[in-house]
Amino acid sequence: MRAYYQLTLAQLRIYVRNRQALIWTLLFPFFFMIIFGLMFNDGNTTTYSVNLIDYDKTQASKEIVSILNKQNSLKIHQKSDEEKARKSLSDGKTDFVILIKKGFQDQVTSKKNIPAQIQVLYNESKMGQLQGGIATITANIDGASKQMAGYTPKVVTTLKGVEGITLSYLDFLVPGIIAMQIMNNNMNGVAGQIASWRERGVLRRMQGTTLKASTFIAAQITARLILNSLQAILTILIGYYGFDVSIRGSFLLVVLFVVLGTLTFMSIGFIIASLAKSPESAGPIAGFISFPLMFLGGVFFPVNNMPEYLQPIIKTIPITHLSTAMRDIMNIGATFGDLASDFGWLCVWMIVSFLIAAKTFRWE
Amino acid sequence: MDSIIEVKNLQKKYGDFYAVNGISFEVVKGEVFGLLGPNGAGKSTTMEMLVGLRKPDGGTATIAGHSIGKDASKIKQEIGIQLQSTSLFELLKVKEIIELYASFYPSHIPIQPLIDEMLLTEKQNSLVKGLSGGQKQRLAIALALIHDPQIIFLDEPTTGLDPQARRTLWDIVLTLKERGKTVVLSTHYMDEAHVLADRIGIMDQGKLIALDTPNNLVSSIEAESAIEFKTKSPERVDEFNHLESVTNIVVNHDFVTLYTRNLQFSLIALLEYTKEKDISISDLSTRSATLEDVFLSMTGRGLREE
Repeated sequence: MRAYYQLTLAQLRIYVRNRQALIWTLLFPFFFMIIFGLMFNDGNTTTYSVNLIDYDKTQASKEIVSILNKQNSLKIHQKSDEEKARKSLSDGKTDFVILIKKGFQDQVTSKKNIPAQIQVLYNESKMGQLQGGIATITANIDGASKQMAGYTPKVVTTLKGVEGITLSYLDFLVPGIIAMQIMNNNMNGVAGQIASWRERGVLRRMQGTTLKASTFIAAQITARLILNSLQAILTILIGYYGFDVSIRGSFLLVVLFVVLGTLTFMSIGFIIASLAKSPESAGPIAGFISFPLMFLGGVFFPVNNMPEYLQPIIKTIPITHLSTAMRDIMNIGATFGDLASDFGWLCVWMIVSFLIAAKTFRWE
Repeated sequence: MDSIIEVKNLQKKYGDFYAVNGISFEVVKGEVFGLLGPNGAGKSTTMEMLVGLRKPDGGTATIAGHSIGKDASKIKQEIGIQLQSTSLFELLKVKEIIELYASFYPSHIPIQPLIDEMLLTEKQNSLVKGLSGGQKQRLAIALALIHDPQIIFLDEPTTGLDPQARRTLWDIVLTLKERGKTVVLSTHYMDEAHVLADRIGIMDQGKLIALDTPNNLVSSIEAESAIEFKTKSPERVDEFNHLESVTNIVVNHDFVTLYTRNLQFSLIALLEYTKEKDISISDLSTRSATLEDVFLSMTGRGLREE
């Protein structure tokens, strides 16, 4: 018991004294949140940039402009140079050009049965992306037209938005970062450290004492669980206080998945340490495995958007289940029941890799 | 005499190569037993088999009555080891790592006196990383002593140390002996073996080629002195065999060593013979025979050559 305590303490001391690792650990989540937060924090709302030229400048035309201006999804820039506006449209710099011709108000008020024209130009090659914008513009102008005509509709649809959870990209990102940290710290960390200790004879010297291998491994696990839990808490706190990331789920459930992820990726780290012929090769092997996992495993991007042929791989790898579970707990307050399948997958990964790790482990 | 270590026909094979090829010896309780030999002679492999870090491919050994391979954990309590290739956690402090190793055993000796004794008092709060070679070796010995073992294995404890650090370490080994510890020590420095060891086993190419006290080993080559010189015609040195009192000749490229029972007679004979036959010699010197010569005369090679 004393050996277990001392070894755990030793590992924590080594970790804290390794400045580079420590700084990396502390700054890493912060760094990622800032970069990705700045890049993508607009959330899912798409906006269209619109150049509007009002040649008429009358009561009627101004009313149309003010209606369009109220639409959040349209960014209206009032212009006067049609030439320039058309050019920037064909260059793809704006999405729409709206032209209100001179005499617009006269047409509106005239008794003839010809409707007044508003010309909407769009970039044909971007048709697909612009559908939403076209719909918004036509709907609003149509509404304005009905209002001006004093038309009372016989049938109306009432649309009512139901209040939902608003999630920003950072809400999505922070659980992913926690999952990634667990993977990197344990898989890459264990692989590198054990391979180097073995190479340098650190393990062999301990083998020459009455210390049991199980005590050594238990202490390693304990120390890493403590470190990872602290790191996850730190990341959550930075996200919560620094970036207004929402946390809805149970803290205990977060800890449960931190533990499960730590054990799984530690075991994989031990396997890599056994496979590696030298500490120099352990790093690249671990990197070679963790890098694709990071991108396939839903750390930065939602896995649903990945190509169909990748889905079977994505649904198998452990990092996907870890990041999904973390995300569901933090973002939508998932309960243990909701996460049963992720829990199951991680357990299978943990048991299988632990068995392989135990079989392949060597002191030297 | 009480044997505390008994080794019988111990073997270790790597592929077709015998790193240790059937060696047998006994170590008496309370003595310093030296294993002397060049790099690659099998000293470290022998020690590693005895302390339970390598499995022998043949032969048996008992340590304090426990047979190796069977009572590994009992043996580990009786022995303290310092390995040639040991490195320790670099980011722990001296005192911390001693406390850590102390925790691996059921009981241990007081830590502070041990630190003082190993001359690490000033360094006890320094990281292992920042220790000098001599300090690291003294720390390694402290770790070997922490559980108060009867037998201490030191594998080339002074290799790579400066002369002063070596002498400090010698004093430590002699103190251990005074306290009744049994020490098994490997080295490729013959002066070290001579100063420290009560008995010496000389190893070469996996075999034990001689085993005796340092003085008996030196007298075994039947020569009190050595005459050394260089010659341009080493192919003719066999002729020197007939010179008066010469017992053995060892040639290494152009460097010749003649062993003699009577320095004066042999030297005169050598000078006269080389003059008569017109063999040119240079860099002539004489000295007393040492353990180095024992090894040289047995193998034809120096201790520190490849």
